[in-house]
Amino acid sequence: MRAAFSRELVRLGQTDTNMLLLTGDHGYALFDDFRKECPAQYINAGIAEQNMVGMAAGLARAGFRPVVYGLSAFVPVRVLEQIKLDVAHDNLPVIFVGDGAGFVYSHLGTSHQSTEDIACSRSIPNLSVYSPADRFELAVCMEAAYRSQSAVYLRMGKCDLGDVHVAAPPASVGGMLEVKCGTAGDVTFIATGSLVSTAIAIADDGYSNASVWSAPFIKPIDEKQVTSICERSQVVVVLEEHSVLGGLGSVIAEIASEFAPVRILRIGVRDRFSHHCGSYEYLRKEHGLDRLAIAERIRYFLAGL
Amino acid sequence: MSGKAFEAKTLRKTVLDMAYAGSTVHIGCAFSIIELLAVLYRNHLRYPDDNPLAVGRDYLVLSKGHGVMAQYACMRELGWLEDAVFARYFSDGSDLKGLSDSRIPGLEVTSGSLGHGFSVGVGLAMGAKLRHTDQRTYALVGDGEINEGPIWEGALFAAHHQLRNFMVIIDQNGFQAMGRTEEVLRLGSVQSKFESFGFEALTVDGHDEAAIDCAITQLWESDCRAPKALIAKTVKGKGVHFMEHNNTWHYTRLDPTTYAQALFEVTGSTQ
Repeated sequence: MRAAFSRELVRLGQTDTNMLLLTGDHGYALFDDFRKECPAQYINAGIAEQNMVGMAAGLARAGFRPVVYGLSAFVPVRVLEQIKLDVAHDNLPVIFVGDGAGFVYSHLGTSHQSTEDIACSRSIPNLSVYSPADRFELAVCMEAAYRSQSAVYLRMGKCDLGDVHVAAPPASVGGMLEVKCGTAGDVTFIATGSLVSTAIAIADDGYSNASVWSAPFIKPIDEKQVTSICERSQVVVVLEEHSVLGGLGSVIAEIASEFAPVRILRIGVRDRFSHHCGSYEYLRKEHGLDRLAIAERIRYFLAGL
Repeated sequence: MSGKAFEAKTLRKTVLDMAYAGSTVHIGCAFSIIELLAVLYRNHLRYPDDNPLAVGRDYLVLSKGHGVMAQYACMRELGWLEDAVFARYFSDGSDLKGLSDSRIPGLEVTSGSLGHGFSVGVGLAMGAKLRHTDQRTYALVGDGEINEGPIWEGALFAAHHQLRNFMVIIDQNGFQAMGRTEEVLRLGSVQSKFESFGFEALTVDGHDEAAIDCAITQLWESDCRAPKALIAKTVKGKGVHFMEHNNTWHYTRLDPTTYAQALFEVTGSTQ
């Protein structure tokens, strides 16, 4: 996904000389191609994220199209007020890319882990929230973000888990993508980012009739599509590498509770920080987000119905 | 440079009238920047066709959004705000808020949460530099406001990128919300601080219009490629003796008696 991100940056930069890439001294080798191809459009703002976002607002006001890159623990979480006040309030066209979302920085502890970023950002008016699952969705999200001419937070999580699509999906903003077809009336899975591939694997293992949907767009999201899916399901399982408070699970539950009440199991981080460090896989296990633990949780939930 | 007078006493009267009409606070921090704004609007800010949204305009960023009534008063002189909105200040459904809101043409940023406008101003200046325009950006900040970290992040950036088209004006009235700046969080020499960050800096009496004008001109005409800092020594509540150096007028509302007294001091008349 990172290679796709680098390619998209170069493509956008070469297509539009008003596009500027701002980084808070992060992304060491990631921007090699961009710096080579678009050197005048690259600004390292230093380890000063708050100023970087304020500046991005000023640059957008001056007619530029800033793409602001940081680790998601810092962009958007550390700079949430700058995003709200300097950018979103006037719906300036600034794209925020939060890299390493979830438990990517599994060895580094709480400061670099980010499981609250969707919840924080989705309640800010004018700010869209995208969460691609693979390189194809990443390209779709980048293009959609640039076309939207408004403020977007693009969440990049664990990005080397392989593709969930075989080609660029025909996505429209807000729409979820069916990545495994199933039949109505059973369990349906909705996942975003890194947990889409896990959802597919769990469905393949034990729920062969279940549909699996990927949600690259957290906000806006097609409410009619969500409602339709909920109406056709007995149980909806929502999976995300994010807190169960305020993330995709909340989005689906909010819509379902209003338009199509259905039992929803939210799989995500249970309102806690990581206790230990270790590999990415270890951290997923610690939080009960590995495949086996999630499958067991679903079995337990279904048995209790 | 609109040719309007921007008389300090007229501007202060407008502030008093709207503060009284709206029963609002933040009079003291508006009064400390009256002369600064008068000089900027009269002699320095360039708005093509007197249009607050003109492409190619200079930018005045009121980072200390609490002083916004002083800017409203200038915008009234310019004809950008009608008299009616002043009489309706703070009434239900009115547009003018108690802090700067960028949706009002003429206000470049939404501020009040402090330390934001400075960075937006740095971005505007960087944009002008990248586009090779001659636009200038002024960021008006409070001395209390420079407690905020992003100010110093932005100062590093402005100096590193030699944004000589950027000028920060520090309204050094010596007070912040809870007391004197020296008692809350000692600033030391503001001029030295900005100089050490790579700014070209001057200190001036912030109520002496000729001196302000001269200092701004001197900074812009300098050959130095550094961003500029103008430290304006001001008096919070300037122009009304019982408001001067009295921090309660950050919070106090006018009553009929204090309104009449203040109006008389500012204009020499009770009308």
